[in-house]
Amino acid sequence: MNLFYKIAIPVFMLVSSYANAQLKNTQTEIVTVYGSCDMCKKTIEKAATEKKISEAVWDKDSQKLTLTYDTTKTTADALLKKVAYAGYDNEKYLAPSEAYNKLPGCCKYERPAETTANKDNHEGHETLAAENSGQSNTILKDVYRSYFTLKDALVKSDGSAAAKAASELEKTLKAVPMDKMQHAAHMVWMKSLPVLREDAEHIAETNDIKHQRDHFVTLSDALYNVAKAFTTGETIYYQHCPMYNNGKGANWLSLGKEIKNPYYGNKMLSCGNTVETLK
Amino acid sequence: MQKLIFICLLLFSMVIQAQKIKEYDLYVTDTVVNYTGKTVSAIAINGMLPGPELHFTEGDTAVIRVHNMMHHETSVHWHGLLLPNEQDGVPYLTTASIKPMSVHTFKFPLKQSGTYWYHSHTMLQEQSGMYGAFIIHKKDETKMPEYTMLLSDWTDMNPHQVERMLHKENDWFSIKKGATQNYGQAIKEGKFGTKFTNEWKRMRAMDVSDVYYERFFANGKSEVQATDFKPGDKIRVRIINGSSSTYFWVNYAGGKMDVVASDGAEVVPVSVDRFIVGTSETYDVIVTIPPKGIAYELVATSEDRTGHTSLWLGNGIKQLANPLQRLNYFEGMQMMNDMMTVGGNMKDMGMNMSLQQMDMNAVMYPEISGMQMTGMQGPDATNANGMENMKEHDHHAMEENKDIVTLNYNMLKSPVKTILSDRPYRTLHFTLTGNMNRYVWTVDNKTISETDKILIKAGENIRIIITNNSMMRHPMHLHGHFFRVVNQYGEYSPLKSVLDIMPMETDTIEFNASEKYGDWFFHCHILYHMMSGMGRIFTYEDSPPNPQLPDAEASLKKVYADDKRYYFSADIGLESNGSDGELRLENTRNFIDAEWRVGYNSESGYETEAHIGRFLDNKQFFAVYTGWDFRYHNEMDKQRNLFGQRSTQAKRAVACLGIIYVLPWFVETDLRVDHKGNVRLQFTRQDIPVTSRLRLWGSWNTDFEYSVGSRYILTRYWSLSAHYDSDMGMGGGIAFTY
Repeated sequence: MNLFYKIAIPVFMLVSSYANAQLKNTQTEIVTVYGSCDMCKKTIEKAATEKKISEAVWDKDSQKLTLTYDTTKTTADALLKKVAYAGYDNEKYLAPSEAYNKLPGCCKYERPAETTANKDNHEGHETLAAENSGQSNTILKDVYRSYFTLKDALVKSDGSAAAKAASELEKTLKAVPMDKMQHAAHMVWMKSLPVLREDAEHIAETNDIKHQRDHFVTLSDALYNVAKAFTTGETIYYQHCPMYNNGKGANWLSLGKEIKNPYYGNKMLSCGNTVETLK
Repeated sequence: MQKLIFICLLLFSMVIQAQKIKEYDLYVTDTVVNYTGKTVSAIAINGMLPGPELHFTEGDTAVIRVHNMMHHETSVHWHGLLLPNEQDGVPYLTTASIKPMSVHTFKFPLKQSGTYWYHSHTMLQEQSGMYGAFIIHKKDETKMPEYTMLLSDWTDMNPHQVERMLHKENDWFSIKKGATQNYGQAIKEGKFGTKFTNEWKRMRAMDVSDVYYERFFANGKSEVQATDFKPGDKIRVRIINGSSSTYFWVNYAGGKMDVVASDGAEVVPVSVDRFIVGTSETYDVIVTIPPKGIAYELVATSEDRTGHTSLWLGNGIKQLANPLQRLNYFEGMQMMNDMMTVGGNMKDMGMNMSLQQMDMNAVMYPEISGMQMTGMQGPDATNANGMENMKEHDHHAMEENKDIVTLNYNMLKSPVKTILSDRPYRTLHFTLTGNMNRYVWTVDNKTISETDKILIKAGENIRIIITNNSMMRHPMHLHGHFFRVVNQYGEYSPLKSVLDIMPMETDTIEFNASEKYGDWFFHCHILYHMMSGMGRIFTYEDSPPNPQLPDAEASLKKVYADDKRYYFSADIGLESNGSDGELRLENTRNFIDAEWRVGYNSESGYETEAHIGRFLDNKQFFAVYTGWDFRYHNEMDKQRNLFGQRSTQAKRAVACLGIIYVLPWFVETDLRVDHKGNVRLQFTRQDIPVTSRLRLWGSWNTDFEYSVGSRYILTRYWSLSAHYDSDMGMGGGIAFTY
């Protein structure tokens, strides 16, 4: 027993001091790495960290990665290559298109360089936006306004405010002057209206935020179809959270480009990305 | 007579005068290099590795003086060139071997243009770095910027050790690659049945290549950058696979590449996302230089995906190409199980595979199958069986493959008609055969030295129908001729000088015997396959004696000696209860071995056995041997064996005759009878891979001797070992494997 401790303790200390050993021959460099959220921070730092070789700290606001590494074992270039393979563009390397595409929605930062190699990721979205040549008037102004109020309530995870906004939405839906609609746009409206009504009704009925969010998914999709047919004169961002509903994902409309996720509130406020811009 | 020759020579030299002569001097030296932190020897040409890029113009006469500054022989073969036989550079077959400290002058007119290369054809010198690019420009070439990317593989190990280890069936390379496909991993991935069936069918861990390489190079470097090109320019990249045994996948970060030539011959441009360059093949592609401030990666990844080498085109921030993920080996293993009979033959299940169109390896590509390598389980493949399963795999691979355009030989079209003149065809059938376990590679189960040269008549058309019945792909190269790879384009079938043929494929190649004389090599260009005898020699009828080879018979013997060599190996155990070990010398068909078991005290006694034997069947599961067995045990009483015979364990000195047969699951059965009539039957299973480095083994015989043991592999040579032996008891120690 005694003997065991006599041997074990020094061995343990040796091992632990070895593991905690500071990096040797270090050099520190601050480099630009593009990213968008806390999840990015984790991934970027993990990619640039090698046990006993390098340490990395990424700052979201400045988009700067502080790299400390053992110059005899690696180079900043090699570490930045690993960061790029993890999906993050930086000052030395641009991520492979596949790696970028695989990033979760909240991590889809805006890429600094639009090369032919990564351009194809965005093509789909741009064409959608271009197709948006619907009726331009203000007949749905009130509908949008109450929808955004509802969305903001969900972002704040405020169930009673959401219920209130939804009943307001119900009223505005009824007040829409359908006689002023052009034919094609009217058809889209008629298809979406029952869904909008039903979801607004359900959200208004309860203060249960989870239940409200479930209906907000279909409500948002229906309103998206409407938004494509009726422009408001304002820019509307169609945004996507890939995580909601066990990874099935969910969408919403927003007036601001910045992501404010109505499905998770503070838990995942910045999770998501803009998939389409409607003007 | 002499006058006549003189006049002829004079005339000839005047003709040459009229053409442009382009001269090069190549100084071949031994050198040392350090790529990985280890200083090892290599071969340099003009102080460079690879050798210098040689540039010519079609119609030039090349005069190349090779100065051998080394203390051993060398040679240079001009790969893909049409030239007089004695200029071909295969030592002892076509050209005089270049002796140490001597100069050999090559001189030949250039009748073609395109991307070619040169390399040593002497033993394994190619692996040591003796190769370079050989570019022939067209006379009136439209000026297009270009870059030559010579790919190669590098091992710090002496190439002769590499070769010896391959023949010893040592799995050190698999350990280094993380590709042992052991039982532990199989269980973890739910593929135990797949692994067991694989071994039942007597297949070792499957892989797409055999050797572990520390580095892959483009022009001798892990990464090269070409910054001289203008943004937006289209440039020609001449890609040469100068490796010894590596296939490379080529991808471009800038999107599609237009393939415009293969093996030097032009093809109608075809736009692809990626293509594989077989060992010794060349491809020319047109790619677009990125906009200002960006560099695109043109990346060549080894087929086994253990490494890659990059060419950066452009200047600025570097856009990486999508990396190729590690192979799903168990998917490949499952496929092999479906395709392999227990007898060791490949069956294509009526799929008529050809021209690289159905890449069976695709089941192992995560980017196509969509499966991740570790932990995750793909669609359950283990329960379905046979053809059904196969189709599924295939279907899956094809479907996913739609958006990635991968080049295959059926997509290559010659811009001009390549149909041969209307002469009778002679058809030859070759089956590529091999035995991974002993690393014997053959054509129709015969090595080069075991067959006669194949006679061809000048002017006749030769058609070769090649089937690959082995488990690996082979880049078959014909010297001094282009052949047509018959594909969907018929009269416009492409010209090539290397044919990559995948397992189970059947391809047809055709060529006109357009030379006048000489011996022309047709061989697998994987260096270690060629050296084990995978090839044939075509010889023109009535060839005049070759002045460079005054003693034709002795020269040919030298050629044949290459695949007859013996390889030495040893397993020596030093354990607490004694020492046992084995020394082996073996070649293509024969083996000589000596075994011993010695205790440290007089009670435990000793045993020695020695055998000389020969493998008899094509798959080399069956061997006969004769030898002697001498043993002494102080304490051991006479015992009866399983057959009721009295075995004289105590003191035995007998001569014996035996047969060995490898049963499914690699159980080696050894039945022998000694001169006193005693019979012994022994079963042994060696090296069961439990984890990447842990091996189990066991043995039992009808004298009721048995042993079981384990080995943990530490390094290439050393292992920890422990075993229990019915004679010597329990022991542990170290084992040396050479």
